[in-house]
Amino acid sequence: MRSILNKLLTAMRGGVNELGEAVVDGQGNRILEQELRDSEQELKQAKQELAALMAESASLARQIRSEQDNASKREQDARKAIAAGQEDLAREVAERIVGHERRAVELTQTRELLQQRIAGLKERVQRAEKQLADYRRELQVVKTNERVLRTTAQIDTNINSQKSSLNTAKETLERIRERQAREEDRQTASATLEKELTGADLDEKLKAAGIDGEQDAIDNVLARLKDNPAQ
Amino acid sequence: MDIQTLTLALGDSTHAGRRFDVMPITGDEPVLQVTVSGAEETPVYLTVTDTQILCLAYLFDEQELNPERLNELHENMLRLSVPMPLSSLGKTGDHYVVYGALSPTSGAAEIMQELVTLAENAIDLLQTFEDYLA
Repeated sequence: MRSILNKLLTAMRGGVNELGEAVVDGQGNRILEQELRDSEQELKQAKQELAALMAESASLARQIRSEQDNASKREQDARKAIAAGQEDLAREVAERIVGHERRAVELTQTRELLQQRIAGLKERVQRAEKQLADYRRELQVVKTNERVLRTTAQIDTNINSQKSSLNTAKETLERIRERQAREEDRQTASATLEKELTGADLDEKLKAAGIDGEQDAIDNVLARLKDNPAQ
Repeated sequence: MDIQTLTLALGDSTHAGRRFDVMPITGDEPVLQVTVSGAEETPVYLTVTDTQILCLAYLFDEQELNPERLNELHENMLRLSVPMPLSSLGKTGDHYVVYGALSPTSGAAEIMQELVTLAENAIDLLQTFEDYLA
């Protein structure tokens, strides 16, 4: 991932990220995609192999148990033969027991080797999964970068064909200021209109002229109270 | 959410009192130019990929900037990028952009929220960084 990011940065700083000069070109993309497919294939194979080995290991475990079971069963037979004084028969059974025990030991050894291979394979699967995730992330970065470059190039071409030139930031700022001024004017106008409708503006004018209806009313009441202080 | 569905959805929706004027940008890539009412000066461009919905608005070009104050501007852009809601600051080619990326599974409401926020942020950023223009 780091090498991809460095490649992108170097190319961008060199200014080669113009249209038609994609940073990691189509060829590079195809290589990444091929690596991704190879990794996926390897992972699939490793998983299949792992499944087969695990099945084999389970089957061996079953065989080992069966040999051990047979050996212990035969041991009881041998004891009975000895108790019955059948020495020859007991020896024959003992030979069988040795056979079962040997096979159990052999199978256990085989199974241990298999377990080691399974552990190694599990590690390989994990490595492949991590590798796959890395490739996917890299490919995503490369593809997104290309997409952004193509998209902005497309936008620029379109804007250029619509107008004589691309708007400069200063022109845009000028238009923003004009709109904001218009909005402010509208707000002022609607506030004025509201005042007119409610008569608030007339009250303000009267107050400014020293004519305050509210104050007059209070004065009147006070005057009345002063005229008739006894009541 | 694909470009066609989005065009239809934006065409007759309002979000937070805003309307959306949608115009496809002709070319190989599926790109929409979305003008948000009340922030018409900074159209937002939207493109949908497998992994994300990318929305971006242009701020200014490198050659419009005062070269002596470039470092200071970059520092301020990096600092403002973190708290800006739903937007990050970046550069593609010579364009300085404000952008936001959404999951392709986002619904129309999330996308409209992003578009409104991005258009408004672009205006605020332009006015904030006006002093850095040459």
